[in-house]
Amino acid sequence: MFRAEPLVKIQLLMLATEAPDAALQLARFGVFNPGELNSGSGVLAALPEVFPESPAEHYREAWLEAESRLSKLLQQCGDAQPLVIPDDAAAPSLSDLQELNGWLKEVWSACLACHEGEERILDEKKHLDALEETLSKLERLNVDLAHLLRSDSLLGVNIGSLPANGLKRVSEALSMTSTLVNQFDHVGDQIFAVIAGPRMHQTEVHGLLAQAGWRELAVPEELRTHPLEARAWLEAERERLGELSGAECRVMSNLREQFGPRLNEARMRVALARPLAEAALLGVRGKGGLAVLAGWVPRRQLDALRKGLEQRFHGRYWLDVKEVAAHEASKAPSLVRYPAWLTPFVPLVKSYGVPRYGEFDPALPFALTYLLLFGAMFGDIGHGGVIVLLSLLFAGKLGRMAWVGAAAGTVSMLFGVLYGSIFGYEDVLQPVWLSPLHNPVHVLSVAVAFGVGFIVFTLLVNARNKWVAGHVAEALFDSTGLAGLVFYLGAVGGLASAAGAADISAPAWMLAIFGILVVAGFKWFEAKAGLGERILVTAIETLETGINLFSNTLSFMRVAAFSLNHVALALAIFTLASGLSVAGHWFTIALGNVVIIVLEGGIVAIQALRLMYYEGFSRFFSGDGVEFAPLRLEAQSVKD
Amino acid sequence: MSAYLNTRVSLYAGRLWLDEDFDALLRVSDAELEDMLGERGLAQLAAGFGDPEQSRPLNDPLSLEQRIIAQTLDETRVLIRPLNGVARGFLIYWTARFEVTNVKTLLRGKMTGERPATLLSRLTPMGSFGRLDNHELAHAEDVGELLRRLEAGPYAGIVRQARRAFEQSHDPFNLDAALDRAYYEGLVQRAKSLEGCAGAGFRNLMGTLIDRINLVWLLRYRFNYNLPPAQVYFLLVGSHYSLTGARLRELAALGGLESVLAELPQEWRSRLAPAHDIPGVFAIMERIGAESARNELRSSSPAISRAFAYLILRERDLRSVRAVLRGRHLGLSGADIRLALHRTPLEVM
Repeated sequence: MFRAEPLVKIQLLMLATEAPDAALQLARFGVFNPGELNSGSGVLAALPEVFPESPAEHYREAWLEAESRLSKLLQQCGDAQPLVIPDDAAAPSLSDLQELNGWLKEVWSACLACHEGEERILDEKKHLDALEETLSKLERLNVDLAHLLRSDSLLGVNIGSLPANGLKRVSEALSMTSTLVNQFDHVGDQIFAVIAGPRMHQTEVHGLLAQAGWRELAVPEELRTHPLEARAWLEAERERLGELSGAECRVMSNLREQFGPRLNEARMRVALARPLAEAALLGVRGKGGLAVLAGWVPRRQLDALRKGLEQRFHGRYWLDVKEVAAHEASKAPSLVRYPAWLTPFVPLVKSYGVPRYGEFDPALPFALTYLLLFGAMFGDIGHGGVIVLLSLLFAGKLGRMAWVGAAAGTVSMLFGVLYGSIFGYEDVLQPVWLSPLHNPVHVLSVAVAFGVGFIVFTLLVNARNKWVAGHVAEALFDSTGLAGLVFYLGAVGGLASAAGAADISAPAWMLAIFGILVVAGFKWFEAKAGLGERILVTAIETLETGINLFSNTLSFMRVAAFSLNHVALALAIFTLASGLSVAGHWFTIALGNVVIIVLEGGIVAIQALRLMYYEGFSRFFSGDGVEFAPLRLEAQSVKD
Repeated sequence: MSAYLNTRVSLYAGRLWLDEDFDALLRVSDAELEDMLGERGLAQLAAGFGDPEQSRPLNDPLSLEQRIIAQTLDETRVLIRPLNGVARGFLIYWTARFEVTNVKTLLRGKMTGERPATLLSRLTPMGSFGRLDNHELAHAEDVGELLRRLEAGPYAGIVRQARRAFEQSHDPFNLDAALDRAYYEGLVQRAKSLEGCAGAGFRNLMGTLIDRINLVWLLRYRFNYNLPPAQVYFLLVGSHYSLTGARLRELAALGGLESVLAELPQEWRSRLAPAHDIPGVFAIMERIGAESARNELRSSSPAISRAFAYLILRERDLRSVRAVLRGRHLGLSGADIRLALHRTPLEVM
């Protein structure tokens, strides 16, 4: 629970033709995380050199293409039904997959042609609308189109549309060819214009217009006659497009009927091919007829893996097993198993980052401290009770987060008992510990003391993490290592002595100076830069050490501040309610309590999370670990 | 925040290269080269040197070009950290030209029927600056589908007109030219809203950049591709700097390189006198831009302007370093590489 499960690196050597099935077997095994190949032991020593080929690369490429086409097809033509994969189904071979990909390409091309046909019809319909509008405008222009568009005229005329934002530029450019642009309509982001100029410049004008996204309005002969005849032609065109659209719909339906059943089968084959395609991303190596799959599995499940492989391949494989070396720890994935009650808190930790393999996993201290901080800032029996009730009531919608709410509410109730607070009333119950309102300095001191303890804990955890990762110098001398801890403890002792809480001023400050000097020396040593930058980096980072630790400690004063704030808000509501009639009084009290629960409860939940992330995690938790991502099949396997 | 950015830019400025540094880079042995690049924060560019057997390290699948862009993106990421609002948006958009290059690669790949996997390996990883789903785009069936997908994404404004231009002509040149123009017009627009607060130096930097692009494009389109004046003018970036729209129309109507150079502002005319061809014009204009960026970097201008100047200079350096490394790989003589450094223009896109 405090660290990732011990893993071993495996390298599975098998016949290249059986690689898809081996990957499928590993996906069914459920706890195989693919990884890069590295030097093995025994017969598999110097693996990368011995197996220079990437036999699964073509497989992955074919799978990616097939998968992309399939998902587009399912989006366009088919309706996805639940996928059922039999336990004994085998993965497709490369040639199977390529054949499937070819078929999918054919189907998608047919589907795309249909889709594009529909788009074209839609485009033509829009064009027809525009033409109709244009016709009505041209009618008003009172221009004889037949005369204007004569091909033997000295005037070259174009009628059409172009993007509105290009009009100025086109007009300026065309002015260089003595050509005029006359806009006569604006529809959406398109403007409709008549472009007229000397016919001798027409080639130049057409070249430019092609660049400008010009769309020629093909004014058909029909439109160049009497307006009534032109309108009749437009109607006929609409009818023709309607028929075409119907035909495209029918083609699409036929395609669905024709390919639907095989598409479902294609889905299954693509799903069965996924494991090898995904494993290939990290490198399946090979040579000749052999292939090697590498990755991590939990050490304790190694026997189960051997058994599964033996059943499937009957000795036609070689399994190389290696412990995770220190230099590989940063690449190894973290597989942490949590007890059920802790699982709801895990997403809150993961939203900050994933612990590295071997690193201290902060989920448990996070859960405990988060609840403690929430309860301390929002201690009230009544408000806590409401949170518990709401969490239970909406458990269905909240899912596992309901448990976080219920736990936070319960701790809030416990602190309510300690503070003697129920729905903001401070005089109904006798506090078991103290009332924040009457002992503010005490509460602030306790909060800061808790902060000191928390920061000491985080520094110790960080030193341990660095040590385990082999960064001994950082563990000992860095600002977040033991030297930082020595400085911090010395500074805390010095400040406590100055405040009269202790009498260790001289040794404490000596300890602090020693600690900060070690940190500065380490920063100087670590800064690989020119003299100027080195001085700057050392000075700033050392200063930052002191400032950060000081400000982080003071941050914990907010725990006390929020517990006081809780009481102060309740007092404000009581003051408002006291001036009202009985009904108004209770209405104000009820509404005020809702405001406290929603507003203050929300703020406190965020503040507790912030304290954990920035004063806690940022100190010892790099969050750049790799989550254990096992190969999996797309759908749950079922017994045939 | 501006104090931090100014300090950061000043520290970064120490990594810029002088001409004599390139001479030294030409002379050092392969074994010393890694150290020399490392001192300038460019250790990742040295990968492959020092080990003659290995032209590219096993654990680094990126090409030299991709590593140069990765370095530029890394430094931009540090510089934008303290920025917000328009200034941040401007520098982020400045990096978008790499992604526009990816868009062009995707389009060309689809035109030639390249396989998605090959296409993906040729794209520059944009890291946190990336806004496109390269995987989905590379798996588009053809150019039409790709353009439609792009038009539904963050570069819709840049792609829309390019699509229409392509649909009309099916000419890849039209597609590229429309994409480039739309990108730089976006940059000019963003710079315009920043010019008020970023000072005259920033305006000068942008002016030098856009004027250079316009002049070189004008010369190329007009005299290399023989496009007619009106079309050439249309393909240039609309700007409000020294070469205004009216001036560009006049220049585009001229009949030869010499007459275009003779009609330029007096200051440019004297500087461009030694140029006899378009690459020569580019190289001189590029040097003028670098001088202006260097002055800006040394000045006490607003931090965003100095940061932009640094990025311009850094990228110029990185491309010169690339020229040296490529030259060494190809076994070219020092004199040839030196010639390339002084004559080969930087690619704008």
